[in-house]
Amino acid sequence: MKLNHSFDDRKKLPRAKKLPVINNRLFQGFIILVIMILSAFIFSALANIVWKGMGGLAQSIVSPEIQFAIRLSLFTSFTSTIICILFALPVAYGLERFKIPGRKLINVILDIPLSLPPLVSGVALLLLFGTTRFGAVLAEHGLRFIFSVNGIILAQFFIITPYMIRVLQSTIADINPRLEFVARTLGCSQWQAFYKITLPLAKNGIIAGLVISWARAIGEFGCALMVAGATRMVTETLPIALYLNMSVGNLEMAMAAATCLIIISFISLFIFEMVGVKQIPASRIN
Amino acid sequence: MINLYNICKRLGDFSLKNINLNIEDNEYFVILGPTGTGKTVILEIIAGMYQPDKGEVWINDRNVTTEYPESRRIGFVYQDYMLFPHLDVRENITFALKLNKTPHNIMKQKLQQMAGLLNIEGLLNRYPSTLSGGEQQRVALARALVTEPDVLLLDEPLSALDPRSKELFQQELKSIHQQIKTTTIHITHDFNEALLLADRMGIMQNGEIVQVGTPEEVFQRPRSQFVAEFVGMENIYKGEIIDKNGEQYVSIASIYIRVVTNLTGIVRAAIRPEDIIISQEKFISSAQNSVSARIIEIIPRGSVYKLVLDAGFTMTALVTRQALEELNLESGKHVWAVFKATAVHVF
Repeated sequence: MKLNHSFDDRKKLPRAKKLPVINNRLFQGFIILVIMILSAFIFSALANIVWKGMGGLAQSIVSPEIQFAIRLSLFTSFTSTIICILFALPVAYGLERFKIPGRKLINVILDIPLSLPPLVSGVALLLLFGTTRFGAVLAEHGLRFIFSVNGIILAQFFIITPYMIRVLQSTIADINPRLEFVARTLGCSQWQAFYKITLPLAKNGIIAGLVISWARAIGEFGCALMVAGATRMVTETLPIALYLNMSVGNLEMAMAAATCLIIISFISLFIFEMVGVKQIPASRIN
Repeated sequence: MINLYNICKRLGDFSLKNINLNIEDNEYFVILGPTGTGKTVILEIIAGMYQPDKGEVWINDRNVTTEYPESRRIGFVYQDYMLFPHLDVRENITFALKLNKTPHNIMKQKLQQMAGLLNIEGLLNRYPSTLSGGEQQRVALARALVTEPDVLLLDEPLSALDPRSKELFQQELKSIHQQIKTTTIHITHDFNEALLLADRMGIMQNGEIVQVGTPEEVFQRPRSQFVAEFVGMENIYKGEIIDKNGEQYVSIASIYIRVVTNLTGIVRAAIRPEDIIISQEKFISSAQNSVSARIIEIIPRGSVYKLVLDAGFTMTALVTRQALEELNLESGKHVWAVFKATAVHVF
C-alpha cells in the first residue's frame, strides 16, 4: 500500500494567492442589500406617481384629452405591432434558417435602430418621408406620414421591429431545424414544414415578441415626436399627452397619462413573464 | 435500391470523399464508424437535407440528386427522435397521412397496424415529453414507416437508449425488417449492433468508406488495421438452427451448439473469446456447451494468451497466464471449450 507519497506531493503544489478574507455572512448581506436598494428605488419611484395620480385619476381619465390619447395610443400601437410582425416573422425565419449571403451585415443593419437614439431615428424618417421624391410620391397617393397619425405608426414600427426580430430569431434558433427536416421527409413542402412545425412551436415566442413590441410601441415618444409632431388632440398619444401637460404644468393630467402607461407596462410584463416561462420547455424538447 | 456515385461534400472542417455505395432492395445495410466520421451527413445527403458538392444519388433507379426531400419517399429516424413536441403520439404518426389527405378509415387502419407492429397502442394519446427514450424511438420509427417509404434511414437509432432497451430494440428492429423488408441504412458506432443487424456493412473512416461486405467478410478479412481494430470480434460462424424438444441448437460443421434464440433457418452465431472457458476434462456445469478441441496455437496478447482451437471449426479463446500454467496448455493438446448457451450471439 503506497498511499503516503501523495501527501508528500501535495506540499509541492503551488499555493493559490491569498484573497482578502471576507466573512460569508458579510458577503451574503452585501448582495441582499444591493438587491433591496435597487428594487426599493424602482418601486418607490413608480408607486409615488400611481399614489399621487390616483386621486385625480378618475377625473382625468374621463377628460376628452386623455380619452383621445388612450384611444390613439391603442390604435397606433396595435396597428404598428401587426405591421411589425408581418415583416419580422419572415425576416427572422429567413435569417435564422436560410444561408443568405451577407447575413451578418443584414443583421447589423436591422439592429441599428436598437442602438440609435429614437430622436435620431425620428429625424431620419422625417427627412426620408418629408424631403425626398419617395416621400412625395407616397403623399400624392394618400400615404402622408409627416405630422399625421400615419407618422406615429411609422415611427413605432421603425423602433419596435428590431426588438421583434431579435425575440423571434432567438425563438426560432431554439427550435431544432431537424424537426422541419423530418417533416419534409414526411412529405411537407418548405412552407408546410414552417406552418405545421416551426410556427406552432414558436407560438409562445411570438406572443412574447408581440407583447414586448406592443409595450414599446405604446411608450414610443422621441421618434414619433419628430415624425408626427405633438399636436394636441391630433397626434397626442399617451406619452405625448404626458409631455404636453407636463410642459404647461398640468400635473394631474400628466400623472394620469403616466399612470395609464405604468399599468400597461405592468400588464405586458406580466404576460411576457407568463409566456416566457412556458416557452422554454415547450420548444427545447427534441 | 440506393446508389451513391462519387459523392463529395465539404461541411466546415469536415468532408465526405468520393462515396460510392450500392445498396440492394430489401437490404439492411449498416454504416459503421467512429463518431465524427460523417456518417450522418451521408444519410442527410440521401434524404436531401444537403446537396452533394459532386456526385449523384439514385433511389430505385431514379436520379434524385436535385429532388426535394418531400418527393424522395424516405423515412428518417434521428438519434434524438425528433418527435414533434406539440403533437401527441397519434398525431405524430398520422402526420404524413393527414398531409396527403388519406381517407379516415385507411388512416385509422394504418395507425393501428403501426402501433401494433411497434407495440405502442397504449401511448397514442401521450405527448412526446412524457415518453421514455425507448418509447420515443418506437414512435419515431412508426412515424417514418407509416408512409411506406422506399428507403428507411436510421441515424444511430439505439445509441441514446439504456443497454437493456437497446438489446430489446435491436432484436425488434431485426424482426420488423424481416416483416416489412424496407431497404434500410442504419448508422452506428457500435459494432455489436452492426453484427446483429447487418446484411452487409460499410466501415467509415475520415469521411471515406474503407470496406464494404457481409459481417463475416468484414470481421474475418478486415482490409486494414483500422477495420480490424474496429471490429474486434473473432468467432463468427454460419449455421442452421435446429429445434430439438423445444431447445434450440445451431449446427456448425456438424457440431451442435445449444443457443437461446427466436430465429430460425440459416443464421450466424458469434462467441466472444473471453466467454469461452478452457478445461482439461469434460465437466458438468450450468454452461450447456462443451466442445472437444485441439490447441493449434498459443499467442501471447498483453496480459492474456489467445488460444487458437480446432473444434471442427476454428475458435479462439482467451486465458490468463496462470491458467495457461496450471492447465499445462500447449500446442497439440486436447481440451474442452465450455461456454453458456447465452454466450452465443445468434443473428
